Amino acid sequence: MDLDTDVQMEDAVELDTSLEEEEVNSTGDYSFNQPFQTKEGPPPELSSQNINQLDEWIEHLSKCQPLSEENVRRLCKMAIDVLQFEENVQPVNVPVTICGDVHGQFHDLMELFKIGGPCPDTNYLFMGDYVDRGYYSVETVSYLVAMKVRYPNRITILRGNHESRQITQVYGFYDECLRKYGSANVWKLFTDLFDYFPITALVDNKIFCLHGGLSPLIETIDQVRELNRIQEVPHEGPMCDLLWSDPDDRGGWGISPRGAGFTFGQDISEQFNHTNGLSLIARAHQLVMEGYSWSHQESVVTIFSAPNYCYRCGNQAAIMEVDEQHSRQFLQYDPSVRPGEPTVTRKTPDYFL
Amino acid sequence: MVEATEYQIPQRRILTNEDMEKWQSSATHDEIIQFTTDLADSVNGKDNDAECHISQSTQGVLDILEAVHNIVKNHPVIQDKNTTRFGKVEFRDVYDDINDNSIKIINQDLPELSKIKGATEEVSIYFNESWGNRTRIDYGSGHELNFLAFLLTLNKIGLFNKDDYSAIVLKIFKNYISLMRVFQKEYWLEPAGSHGVWGLDDYHFLPFLFGAAQLSTHQYLRPKSIHNKELVEELHKKYLYLECINFINSIKTASLRWHSPMLDDISIVKTWKKVSEGMIKMYKAEVLGKLPIIQHFFFGSILKAPEGCSSPSSSDSHQHGDGCDHDHQQHQDNDSDKGLPLHQHTWGDCCGIKIPSAFAASESEKTKPIPFD
Repeated sequence: MDLDTDVQMEDAVELDTSLEEEEVNSTGDYSFNQPFQTKEGPPPELSSQNINQLDEWIEHLSKCQPLSEENVRRLCKMAIDVLQFEENVQPVNVPVTICGDVHGQFHDLMELFKIGGPCPDTNYLFMGDYVDRGYYSVETVSYLVAMKVRYPNRITILRGNHESRQITQVYGFYDECLRKYGSANVWKLFTDLFDYFPITALVDNKIFCLHGGLSPLIETIDQVRELNRIQEVPHEGPMCDLLWSDPDDRGGWGISPRGAGFTFGQDISEQFNHTNGLSLIARAHQLVMEGYSWSHQESVVTIFSAPNYCYRCGNQAAIMEVDEQHSRQFLQYDPSVRPGEPTVTRKTPDYFL
Repeated sequence: MVEATEYQIPQRRILTNEDMEKWQSSATHDEIIQFTTDLADSVNGKDNDAECHISQSTQGVLDILEAVHNIVKNHPVIQDKNTTRFGKVEFRDVYDDINDNSIKIINQDLPELSKIKGATEEVSIYFNESWGNRTRIDYGSGHELNFLAFLLTLNKIGLFNKDDYSAIVLKIFKNYISLMRVFQKEYWLEPAGSHGVWGLDDYHFLPFLFGAAQLSTHQYLRPKSIHNKELVEELHKKYLYLECINFINSIKTASLRWHSPMLDDISIVKTWKKVSEGMIKMYKAEVLGKLPIIQHFFFGSILKAPEGCSSPSSSDSHQHGDGCDHDHQQHQDNDSDKGLPLHQHTWGDCCGIKIPSAFAASESEKTKPIPFD
């Protein structure tokens, strides 16, 4: 497939769309009983007003300053308008740079863009886990979502197992939103948005990208296309597995020590790649000390993009560039220099008032 | 005369949000809060060296901790000593060794308990779970809660009375924390259910709670004193709270504001008394109020299950479907996910990503092999 790589910023066509100011899923409880179907056809294009607004937000966020709650609400609404048109298996063209977990390490995400080249000049595919554990989950996910809305064909953001209501309540994103906004509203807006994130991507029909791994209930990529993904990450079943599974040295399917998803062996990966005409499964989800790690005789690669994870693991991070000829190059990087002290002001937790 | 009790092997009973509601208004929940509050009150204004009464039972539990320490010494890390930063597999041998011997050790060091039929078997379940999770090789406030429950069961059986409380904190609990540091250091236990930077601490809660009580009447130390490194270094042996801060400082890079914003936030509270009161509220909400932690808690005849909660979970209902032939559970693992019913995965408390402990990072800095020339 020929690709004109010189065309930049083709997304930013100025066409007016009506973005009404209605509430987006922001009230009431999570209703999973009425599945929201993804929409067919091209997404609405951005108005010049929206482009200006997004550029302003991106500029603001790039200084690691969070958006106001009202602006998060507007951003999430715009993002739903984009993401609901994406497919469960979102097609992505080469060249593209594929990235793993980020986990709220905002300054390291900026380092990633320095190493890999700025977006939108470089196309990016992120494989989930933007939030939890790190200090700046809100800023990180806001930035990536704003970039996604601004340059929808230049950046793809998949869903990780941490883009879920349940997990974020345990691993920090909920606490962080409460701490930074004084209420759970922003957490609610983002976790409602996460339901729309695509769950897998297919790079030039050759590299299958997803956060976790394979599922015993999925033999073909077409079966992924049939899933209804617009829901909270379920506790079991194919969608759960795609976000939770791990490759393993042992063959066949195994019980995952994580309590969700499965472990899958080389025989499974090879069969899946063969059945679907793939050259590689790219996934994230596991900390690997060098930032990337091959398994199953190079039929699976793990990519992890949060250096010195949790500010103490001492691991390198990596991203994988895939060029027009499908050759792959890994770029490794260390943590960014920490900019002085955090900008968040101290606040007495409610328990101690 | 107390009616003869039929002791039993404790089981998990809290499985759903409805169970959680019943749990939070249950007598056992209130007993745990009361015991914790009483222990904290007993050390108000007392440092670790304060004189306290060491009863026979207190000495017995101290001896039990020593026995566990000896078990640890028998299982040095050999495999993957320098090659992985994740939890060390030898921890599983220690876990099994403790499980196999706990009844013997407890009976030996607490002879009074050994005379009560079935009692040791019941309390040993809490004791066995006090050291971490066998499968995941991790440790968190839920395991710490088990040790508190072990002490509470002994208290309810009558081995302790209120005169023992300050020694329970200043001797037993302090030694338990020291021993946990040995576990964490030796086996690189991963933090269980870590909130990342947004939690209080990777592993512990209670030393902060008891430690704040110790400092609550202090003349000049203030919550903000945790930022004074020299002071912390000088006084960490005297106060549990400062021991935790010193420990964190010793293994984490960058400032407390980065890796521990919660502790940093608490440091702006005006008085330790306020911190101490807040810790109880926080323990109630963040430990006793969390299903991912309480779903692993065991109930028996001493710590009774809340009325009307789910029946004991059977131990073989966790099946992942056909096609799995891996034997992940060769040895008994009381706290594995397998005891939970099918729809009760524990991924709420364990997203499962392996996170090396802070020890792993700081230790591996030191253990780089010297290259050949």
